[in-house]
Order: sequence, then structure tokens, then C-alpha cells
Amino acid sequence: MKSTQYSEKTLEHFRNPRNVGTLEGPNVAVGRVGNPVCGDMMDIYIRVTPEDRIEEIRFQTFGCGSAVATSSMVTELVIGMKLDDALKVTRGDVADALDGLPPIKMHCSNLAADALHEAIKNWRAGVKPEDATATPVEKSCHPRPAAVVEVEVANLDAYKGKGVSTRVDDLAELADQRVVVLDTGDRAAQLAIDLTEHTSRVVLMTTGKEPSVSSAVRSALRLSDVKLLTEAQPLELMGEGELERIRVHDLNEDEEYELTADAFVVLE
Amino acid sequence: MTPVSTTDGVVYADYQSSKPVDPRVVEAMLPYFGGTFGNAASLHGVGDAATAALDAARARVAAFIGAQPQEIIFTSGATEANNLGIIGYAQRNRRKGDHVVITEAEHISVLNIAKYLEKNGFRVTRAPIDLHGRVSVKKLRARITDETILVSVGWASNEIGTVQPVAEIAELLAGTGVALHSDAVAAEGLVPIDVGAVPVSLLSLSSNDIYGPRGLGALYVRKGVQVAPVLMGGGQERGLRSGTEDLASIAGMAAAADLMAAEMPAEVARLATLRDRLVERVLAEIPDAHLNGHPSERLPNNAHFRFEGVEGEAMVLSLRDEGVAAATGSACSSKTLEPSHTLISCGLLHEEAHGSLEFTFGRFSKSEDVARIMAVLPGVVARLRTLSPLYKTHAPQTEKVGS
Repeated sequence: MKSTQYSEKTLEHFRNPRNVGTLEGPNVAVGRVGNPVCGDMMDIYIRVTPEDRIEEIRFQTFGCGSAVATSSMVTELVIGMKLDDALKVTRGDVADALDGLPPIKMHCSNLAADALHEAIKNWRAGVKPEDATATPVEKSCHPRPAAVVEVEVANLDAYKGKGVSTRVDDLAELADQRVVVLDTGDRAAQLAIDLTEHTSRVVLMTTGKEPSVSSAVRSALRLSDVKLLTEAQPLELMGEGELERIRVHDLNEDEEYELTADAFVVLE
Repeated sequence: MTPVSTTDGVVYADYQSSKPVDPRVVEAMLPYFGGTFGNAASLHGVGDAATAALDAARARVAAFIGAQPQEIIFTSGATEANNLGIIGYAQRNRRKGDHVVITEAEHISVLNIAKYLEKNGFRVTRAPIDLHGRVSVKKLRARITDETILVSVGWASNEIGTVQPVAEIAELLAGTGVALHSDAVAAEGLVPIDVGAVPVSLLSLSSNDIYGPRGLGALYVRKGVQVAPVLMGGGQERGLRSGTEDLASIAGMAAAADLMAAEMPAEVARLATLRDRLVERVLAEIPDAHLNGHPSERLPNNAHFRFEGVEGEAMVLSLRDEGVAAATGSACSSKTLEPSHTLISCGLLHEEAHGSLEFTFGRFSKSEDVARIMAVLPGVVARLRTLSPLYKTHAPQTEKVGS
């Protein structure tokens, strides 16, 4: 079956999703699951009555057709429900309510029930919405590394002058290169911004959830074409003779992947 | 020209995945289902007519790429041509070495052939590509060793449309004894391919990609290049591809090649105009949109974008509802749930690769297709962004060119 061979009901929820948005004010909790790296991420907001019922529910989802449809469906299924009953709603229930999902989508893009359960858990634990959306998903399963992770790239020196630089005197030397700048504060971020004049590909890599920069530089970063890569810890440099790839530890998902790059700037 | 009405009012902008067969090609094929039905191997007159038709078709396909007729081997498609060209060459020339170089921008058919070779005792190295998807000739050269027998470089990426420096690579390999194979499927009919000017050893072609019938392809094997068959049987096609020739399809491919040769200059110019107009409008009218691939060295029909904060399958699905057929490199649309390897090799983050959207124009694309796409695309992207927790409007609307 094709990944997009969805039931009419799934398509209908994708086209006209119910309860899109966020909730603010009192008695609100949020559950966030997924990861943009995997292609799916969703936030489910609930407002809970004193009687422990879901009074209002909203969602925001980045993802494919089934990610959107399952989010929409779960909000319909549980609105007005007691929290204990809502916790019993499973991924299978959501898929059934949509008249089924393509097999390949059953696991990857059927996270809405998990997001709901996360929201209820956060409500009961008193986790504030702003903390919930700043916190990665599998908090309870994978212990979080400390906010600042020591960056130690085993073979950094081997690539010095072959893609790795500790200072950049002439920005034009990096023209049209894929440059990764390690977040070492304002100076690195400013360098990243300046480099966008010379190449369309500048990544600022930080182990934190946000780069460790002043608020002025942060707004400048937002307006710039610098691509932020957060919660990423460089592990090892790879390439034949010259730098070609950086092996990266995704601190959120606790997975490793390779990022293609021509230049890696680690300011002294 | 008879209009093609297969798409029922839908704007079809996915020519890289499949093309309609040109009605004039269908015309040319019809006689071979009735009158000329012989087997080219038979000795009687009916067989002779088939032989004559086969010879004529072979000469026309050869002429399309500047080859000699005896250098063309018909296959069941480009996948088989890649198998015969790469596996057949590697096995036949194993005593010269066990090392093959491909690039990170290859079509999945070549990638999986490379994996097969690795399982069967060969070593395969993948040469990296740059920001725009172009293989670095310098880095490719650095990967060639004394054991290297074959380099395989797709003429152009079927996905992001980047055209590879095949001529430069052919020049690099000339006289070294290392053979060069090129999968030219994405490029044929869109950029000139002349094996006289660019001395590749082996080249894969697909019939459908020049508006011929599906289920047929060809491998160009330069005179003197030794290849072992991968299909055993009655010894047709100089023993390299057994099985009675599919004469109707072969005649169709020959007709398609003739039409393409005649119409290519005008067609390419027209497609490039459509493509340029779409790229210009998308980058100007949709915030946080980027063009993937090479700004200039790209196929004239290919516009490949990424949009921040939205996922590709959701875009394709929404566009389908709006009557536009497009494609994506997002993981969510693939069988493996992996995002496009080409985009990742270009240096994009996974989340960016998930947000890709590809439009490819072709012979039956109409001038108004761009306007019809642009009538719905900004709304589709905007709607999905309102759903997305990842998209925050922060940047002022700026045009972004390049990758």
C-alpha cells in the first residue's frame, strides 16, 4: 500500500482538522512528542476542569497527512472525557476511528495518543506549558544530558587546515561552502551571520536548546539565513584528506547521524 | 499535436517520475502488434521483416546519442541497463580490480546495485557532492585507486536536477583504463548527450523518459568495452541481453528518439521558461522558501524547493486536493521512511529534507500551469504552517536564492 493511500476519513481530517491551535490561561497543560528530525512533531494542549475533565483541547502538528489527521481525531475523541478515560485511548483507537491507517504509518505517524497522554501526565505533575514545549519528549525514558555538554571532537586536529579552522580572517575563503560554526558565544554567532553574505549554507551548531548568545545577537540570528542546529554534539570528523562529514550526536533523540559539511569553525 | 488528456484537468508537474507516451509514438508502435509480428531470430520472411525493423530502430536510438548501432543493447528498462552496465562490467573485468566508485547523488537503482556489488566481494566508494548536489571531480579523483575498474556517475540527479560534470570526469578517466558508466535517464531529452563528444564507456537510457513506452530501455556499450550478461538465455542482443526483442516497444523508443532529437531545442527552451517563472514566483511570493540544487547547472524542467516548517507529504497531499501533482523527498512519502539521501548529502538537516517539494515539467506542460500552481501553493504552505508548531513567523519576507 502506498504511504498516501489514506481512508476517506483520514483525508477528511487532514483537509479540515478540528481544534487546531494553542491554549493559554489557567488550567492548561501541554504534551509534546516527536522530533522534526524524524518528520513528525506534535503539541497537544488541554484545559482541565475541576472535575478532571478535558474542557478544551487544541493541537499543532508538523508532519505528514496521517500525523495531522491522527492529531485532529484524538482531539475529537477525548473532548469532554475524564482524564482517566482519556488515558485509555490508544494509538489503535485513533487509527480505528480514522477507518485505519496504512501499515507503514501505524508507528511513525500515529503519535497523537502519546501526545495526549503526555499532556495529561504533565497536567498531573504540574508541568507548565512553557516548560513542556521546551522539554524534549522522552524525558522520562532518556535522562537528559546536562544543559551544557562538553564538546570534544576526537580528531579535530587531524583536519586543521583541511576544513577545520579556529579563526576566519577572510570570509570569502568560505564562499559557497557548507560551513558549520560551533556555538561558542556571540562572536561565533556573529561570524555565522556574516558568513551568510558569502555562502547560502551556514549552520550554527549548539549542544543546547538555544545558542548561548546575548539577546541582541539572538534576534539578529533569527532574522538571518543562519540555520540553527540545536541539541547537537559533534563527535568525530570524517572525510578523505579533507573534512566531508561531521558525525553528530542528537542529544534529544539520543541518536547519531552524519552532517555533510565542507568547513567546521571552532573559534579559539 | 494531439493533446494528452490523461490527467483530467490536473496540473501534472511530476514528469521525473513518469511521462505520458507521446501519441505519435503510439502510432508508430501499432503496426508491430499486427502486421510485423515476427521474431527477428527466425529465418523466414516474416522474421526478416522483424530483423529489418529491429535494425532500423537500433540505428535511430544510436543516432540519438551519437553512437554506432551495434553499441546499443535493448533492455527492459533503465534499471536493467544499470544492472547490465555496472554489474556486468564489474564481473567481466574483475581480474583488473575490485573497486567501483559511485556518487552520493545516484538514483536508488544504482545505490542498490552498489550494495549488491559489496555483498559480492567488490568494494564501493561513494564520492561526495557539494552544496548544490554536484560531485567534486577533485574528490572523485582522490578516490580512484589502482584497483578501481569502474566509475558510475548519473548524468543528472533525477531528484534535485543537478547536472554532473560528466565530460570533465570522462576526460579525467581517459587513458586510465577505468571505465565510466553514466545513468542518463534523468538527463535524456533535457540536455544534449553525445557519446562522441563525451567518451563514456557505458550509458543507461530509458524509453519512457523521452516519451516512449515504459518497460524498455537501452544500454550503450562502447565498442571494445567488455560486459558479462546478467540474464542468461537465447543469446539475443549480442549475447548480452537474452530474450526475444520487444519489437513494438523498440520501434516506439526509436520514434520517441527521433521526435526528441527534432523537438528538443524548442522544448528545452520552453520548459526552462516555465521552470524559471515558477522558481522566481515561489521565492518571491512564499516566505522562507528555498531552491534546492544548483542555481544554473540544473535540468531545465526541474524546480526543487524546501519550505521551512512544513512537511513534504502533507504538501503533496494538499496539492493533490487542489489539482496539482507534485513530488517530495520527504521520508514520510518513501517506503523506507528515510528522507532523500541526495538532500542529506547536500548538507541539509533531516527536518529540511522533510520539507522538500519537487516540480518537474514536460512536453505536455502548459504555459498556464505555473499560474495554476501559484494559485494554490502559497495557500497550501500557509495552511500547513498554521498547523505547525515549528513555524514561527519571524523573518521579514526576503528572497532567498540558492540552496
